[in-house]
Amino acid sequence: MQRLFAFIEHNFHIILFVILQTICGFLIFSLNPYQQATFSKAAMGVTSTINKLSSDVYSYWDLKDQNIWLQNQVSEQFKESFPQSLYYLNDTFPIRDTSMHRLFDAIPAQVVFNTAHKTNNIFLINKGLSHGIKKNMGVISSQGIAGVVLSSNQNYSSVMSLLNTNMKITPHINGQEYFTEMIWDNSKPNCLSINGINKLEQINLGDIVSSGNSSLLFPKGIPIGHVSKINNLPKSQYFELELEAATNFRDLEYVFVIVNNEYSRLKDLLSND
Amino acid sequence: MINKIIYWVLVIGFQVLVLNHLDISSYIYPQVFVTLLLTLPLHLKKTYQLLIGFGLGLVMDLFIYSPGIHMSACLWFIVIRMLILDRQDLKEHANNKLAYSIKTAGFSPFFYTTLILIVFYHFYILWLEGIGNINIEHMIITGLSSSLLSLTIIGVFQALRLNKY
Repeated sequence: MQRLFAFIEHNFHIILFVILQTICGFLIFSLNPYQQATFSKAAMGVTSTINKLSSDVYSYWDLKDQNIWLQNQVSEQFKESFPQSLYYLNDTFPIRDTSMHRLFDAIPAQVVFNTAHKTNNIFLINKGLSHGIKKNMGVISSQGIAGVVLSSNQNYSSVMSLLNTNMKITPHINGQEYFTEMIWDNSKPNCLSINGINKLEQINLGDIVSSGNSSLLFPKGIPIGHVSKINNLPKSQYFELELEAATNFRDLEYVFVIVNNEYSRLKDLLSND
Repeated sequence: MINKIIYWVLVIGFQVLVLNHLDISSYIYPQVFVTLLLTLPLHLKKTYQLLIGFGLGLVMDLFIYSPGIHMSACLWFIVIRMLILDRQDLKEHANNKLAYSIKTAGFSPFFYTTLILIVFYHFYILWLEGIGNINIEHMIITGLSSSLLSLTIIGVFQALRLNKY
């Protein structure tokens, strides 16, 4: 304490100078209109820069919460975005089902492990049985179809990626369902192939390939990819199509697991046939 | 003591009644009253010097309504004066309680000290008054011409005091 007092006593003139200059600064920038305007302009520039910096930092820290919020928002919107499926149900079972209940629900999940370089790629998500996820549920990203749930434990699930040679989806192009298989042959990353579409069909480069009505796992109209190459082999009556997957599997972070609320009933009906 | 008070009143009066109303040119804006700070007694404590500088600046600001500008400039003037005088051998004169002048410091040290302080003072107030929209050319011409005139007048004051003693 004595040292502090000694320091203040020894440097009192410096402290006094700083105090008096502060008073002067206050007078200059508060009572002189021109200097006040200049100070306000400069202060506004500084504060706006600091505020922007602060906002950027806050936004960065807030990204995780925002992502969760967005996931939930997309999930809610998803529930209302496939009226055709609802109408299909209503039209088909008008007497049995008048409650207008949803055919599909979406559960948001985060990818915790992912491969995109193997022959049979899978990824793990942080939702499992306790969240209502079961085997054979479809998984989509915000860009398009991502895969199908292979197995689940209490809190995690493994998902067969679209980039898996065992994955087979029936493609829907230009309003038509083609009952042929769309497969990933591991020849190019993110590129799938479709064989067996007759050359009489109107297929063009850039055509969107999506899910159709023949799948119980995905709602109709979820993008799978777009046609990136058409091989017109002269000795074959079929096209060999290459399509680029809509989902970027190398940067897969958030997905939605599709829950078909009527899966078991529809499956039973189909198995009876 | 009374002589000193009269001298201070005369210098301040000369500044606010005559020099502040000089209408020779827009480039001439001499600040001669700082000679009062320049010639403060050498034995005066630093704290008192700062308070005197602050007070004199306040008086000048009240007359020309430029709140804070002359006060700030006078405080810097005092601080720079302290730094310069610390490098000059004036202990004997300080012990004799003499004021800083040509007689105590000698012509060359006094001239250089005055030159530095006067030029600094003029440029500092010109910068503060035009802050944010400074016309460099106008500032340099005004600063140099006003400093030159102030130096001349302060030189005359010093000559008069030399003759007196």
